[in-house]
Amino acid sequence: MELYVLFGTFVVLLLMGTPVAFCLGISSFATIAYLGLPPVVVFQRLNSGVSVFALMAIPFFIFAGDLMVRGDIARRLVGLAGAFVGHFRGGLGQVNVLSSVMFGGVSGSAAADASAVGGLMVPQMKERGYDVDYAVNITVVSSIIALLLPPSHNMIIYSIAAGGRISIADLFTAGIIPGFLLALMLMVAAWAVAARKGYPVQKFQGLRMIGTLFVSAAPGLILVAIIFGGVRSGVFTASESSNIAVVYALLVTFFVYRSLSWHDFVEATFAAVRTTAMVLMVIGCAASFGWLLAYLRVPAAMVTMLQGVSDNPIVILLLLNLVLLILGTFMDMSPLIVITTPIFLPVATAFGVDPVHFGVILILNLGIGLCTPPVGAVLFVGCAVGRIPIWDAVRTIWPFYGAAFVTLMLVTYIPALSLWLPSLFR
Amino acid sequence: MQQAMETVALWTGRLARLALWAAGIGLVLMTILIAAQVFWRYVLNDSIVWTEPASVMIMGWFIFLGAAVGIREGYHLSFDVVLYVLPHRAKMVLFSLSDIAVGGFGVGMIWFGWQLAAKTAGNKLPGLGISGAFDFAPIVAGGILIVLFSAERVFRRAAGLPTARFGDDGEAA
Repeated sequence: MELYVLFGTFVVLLLMGTPVAFCLGISSFATIAYLGLPPVVVFQRLNSGVSVFALMAIPFFIFAGDLMVRGDIARRLVGLAGAFVGHFRGGLGQVNVLSSVMFGGVSGSAAADASAVGGLMVPQMKERGYDVDYAVNITVVSSIIALLLPPSHNMIIYSIAAGGRISIADLFTAGIIPGFLLALMLMVAAWAVAARKGYPVQKFQGLRMIGTLFVSAAPGLILVAIIFGGVRSGVFTASESSNIAVVYALLVTFFVYRSLSWHDFVEATFAAVRTTAMVLMVIGCAASFGWLLAYLRVPAAMVTMLQGVSDNPIVILLLLNLVLLILGTFMDMSPLIVITTPIFLPVATAFGVDPVHFGVILILNLGIGLCTPPVGAVLFVGCAVGRIPIWDAVRTIWPFYGAAFVTLMLVTYIPALSLWLPSLFR
Repeated sequence: MQQAMETVALWTGRLARLALWAAGIGLVLMTILIAAQVFWRYVLNDSIVWTEPASVMIMGWFIFLGAAVGIREGYHLSFDVVLYVLPHRAKMVLFSLSDIAVGGFGVGMIWFGWQLAAKTAGNKLPGLGISGAFDFAPIVAGGILIVLFSAERVFRRAAGLPTARFGDDGEAA
């Protein structure tokens, strides 16, 4: 019965259009009141849930990403990507994917990636005779790469949702090969679609040009090294290295590129405040929700139930993936991470899946959800950038969904793709 | 009624702007504090004990203030696709019920936040040396703004004025 109160209140509020954070908070409050426990617990957990030093990496990485979008770092990375792969079949499509790899490596946010890379690439692609839907599709799906490459703040959310016991350095490292694999798959898809539609090929700009553009983009690339090196070597905590990312982004955009005006700075700050307050409020409100799930033994019940369905980890992982994909079509990533991790992670570990591996599966899976209607934040951003209706994008997006899905299956069933690289550092 | 609400909106708008600026300054301040901590620790080989708890407290302020402004500006994550199929009147009723529920949660933040503050007022926070009640000031302040902005939404809707919809903003991920 308590479970009906918890999930019933949650779903009813959600369908009424209540913000997810408050759905979590209010349904926890109702359940705690129903159980006769002191309701003050909800607010105590809300307060302690957001008073965690490790959380600080989230505002800092988002802030750094916002500064880089407005401060010209993204544009230079796109320029470099153009020199590398612009002469391949479907040239600008390939550039789009590689830009997401480079920019994702500095920002770690899919929406920031879609708006930054899309804002630069989609108009260019239109101009050179590419169909807008192709440009939007590739912008949208390739921004999932940003979620897998460090510094992905969603991996930090996962680590916190899992109780803070999973090493952020391991998660960051584990996402790298899947991120590159997804890039490769998308480049193949971009190539295939471009070949069929006969999109133009650009001329190779020459090694000299690559060198020039590399120097111009180097400050952005150095940031990747600082963040990853710092967290991986254990010299800095994730929060400290995210702080360094902000300071570094400020120094580069203010003093080296001189591209960030005071107005840009204020706007970047407000954008970061809006995004983080929203995400961290969800995390804070989920603290009591997660506690209730454990108190009501939901994860244990879930494990028993699924063990009744099958004892084959392959089947269970497929099942988890399908459930997550369905949830992902109509809910956003960060709430889903905080809600599903306490329920599904125990299931995954009970079937012998490594928590780091499961984290990569979860992020990739929910990343696909960001690109699917009816609710897909990144799809919305991409369509807004390309100024096309969502339906137009979705009609031709299937090859790219396909590439992402194949990657998801490979990542799910070949644990080494995620776990081999972190194992080298142990 | 509409005119009165426009005047109210002018003031709540200023309040929201103020809260957003405070939150933004908080984020910058956090950046400076942690940068100083890193510099002291790794460059000067010395440690500052108060930067970490201070920036965690500032983070509390900017989360709760930012979350409250989100109620007014409508940038919270939500799921309102199902509502599209409902007739306009039903939709408006559900939106108002939702705002009332959020406002109720805001009341809880004030009431229970205050209780927690009163209980911990006698303690001293480690590293900062100030009363433990300060830990719960952000949740109370955020609660007050959430109640205010939720009430504004309900009254604006009753007066036939538009309110910001949740889920309009795409910067979710």
